[in-house]
Amino acid sequence: MNVNLQSLRSLQRLCGAGWRRLSSMQGGSMNVFDRRMKRKQKKWASSLPDSAKYDYLKNEVGGRLADRIYDVSRTFPLALDVGCGKSHIAEYLSKDVVGRLFLTDISDSSLRKNKDCEIPTHSVQADEEFLPFKENTFDLVFSSMSMHWINDLPGALRQIHQVLKPDGVFIGAMLGGDTLYELRCSLQLAELEREGGFAPHISPYTAVTDLGNLLGQAGFNMLTVDVDEVQVHYPCILEVMTDLQGMGESNCAWNRKSLLHRDTILSAAAIYKEMYGSEDGSVPATFQILYTIGWKPHKSQAKPAKRGSANVSFADLSKTG
Amino acid sequence: MPGSNVWTRSRARMRLFPEMFAQCSAEAASYGKCVAATTTGKQELTKNMCAKEFEALKSCFQSAMKKVAK
Repeated sequence: MNVNLQSLRSLQRLCGAGWRRLSSMQGGSMNVFDRRMKRKQKKWASSLPDSAKYDYLKNEVGGRLADRIYDVSRTFPLALDVGCGKSHIAEYLSKDVVGRLFLTDISDSSLRKNKDCEIPTHSVQADEEFLPFKENTFDLVFSSMSMHWINDLPGALRQIHQVLKPDGVFIGAMLGGDTLYELRCSLQLAELEREGGFAPHISPYTAVTDLGNLLGQAGFNMLTVDVDEVQVHYPCILEVMTDLQGMGESNCAWNRKSLLHRDTILSAAAIYKEMYGSEDGSVPATFQILYTIGWKPHKSQAKPAKRGSANVSFADLSKTG
Repeated sequence: MPGSNVWTRSRARMRLFPEMFAQCSAEAASYGKCVAATTTGKQELTKNMCAKEFEALKSCFQSAMKKVAK
């Protein structure tokens, strides 16, 4: 496999700045996240006795994703949930829309704790980048709040495209560029003031503009991408961090700094409250969710008209009215 | 790991953080304003630029923790 080392290093530097760029490298894929660590974090989070109290964000995003599934006026006999965690979407779906559901996640302990739903489900432990399914199997693939931890996002999207039947649809929700910008800025300023330099503590996210390109390159058409913001208020920075940990969303990027000095935590708490706090003393944390819908090409889908096939002229517009 | 070890003790201490922090809101606000001022001004934020305000915040926080430890 030919990996261009120079572009790999420059991409890693860009990742350190907090953005993911499209991988334009020949052969090998980016390795930004430690997948084994992510599995351990999800396992720890699902083993907490009160893990249900951290599910609010994933349940909310799951509900909004289920709305988008209902908006598509079709029924799906066979569906796949990629990176389902404890399955936050299936509980909102009904048997008339989805016939059978396959749940996959990298962590088996999360799968074991999945929520009840009325659709018959099968759980498969699988990494999102190595889907163990045959081509042209599923009518619907959806993924909520797990794509922002995938290393090779173009490859994963290509695999989703493969396992979909022609005229199948992929509906995804992932965290986007502006997520947790308050936390990121507070930590950066605190580390600058206290330690003289800063390290990345928040994992890099995909930009809205890149997502459309990624799906197009994977072979999807009739794309829609829309952005939603969820703001959650917390008492102070420490609750933000413990809730993120409890959700299983701790950082697992290779370039993360594993230490946060107590002076830095104190300083970041003060900066967060001063710069972003609201009147009632709480601090907001923003989650920017990118929803996307893409279809696998099929001859029944509308195509752009051929050149020269027009039978009315734009000039006629001026003659009306 | 059952029983008391360094991890359970340090996690227990961290759980007190939000309460203690809430008691030092004045010092926190002045420190926060000092740092926020550098983001809008022409000066870059350098190490220990707001050291005085931070020392005030830290001593307030430490005395709050001592009161709880009693």
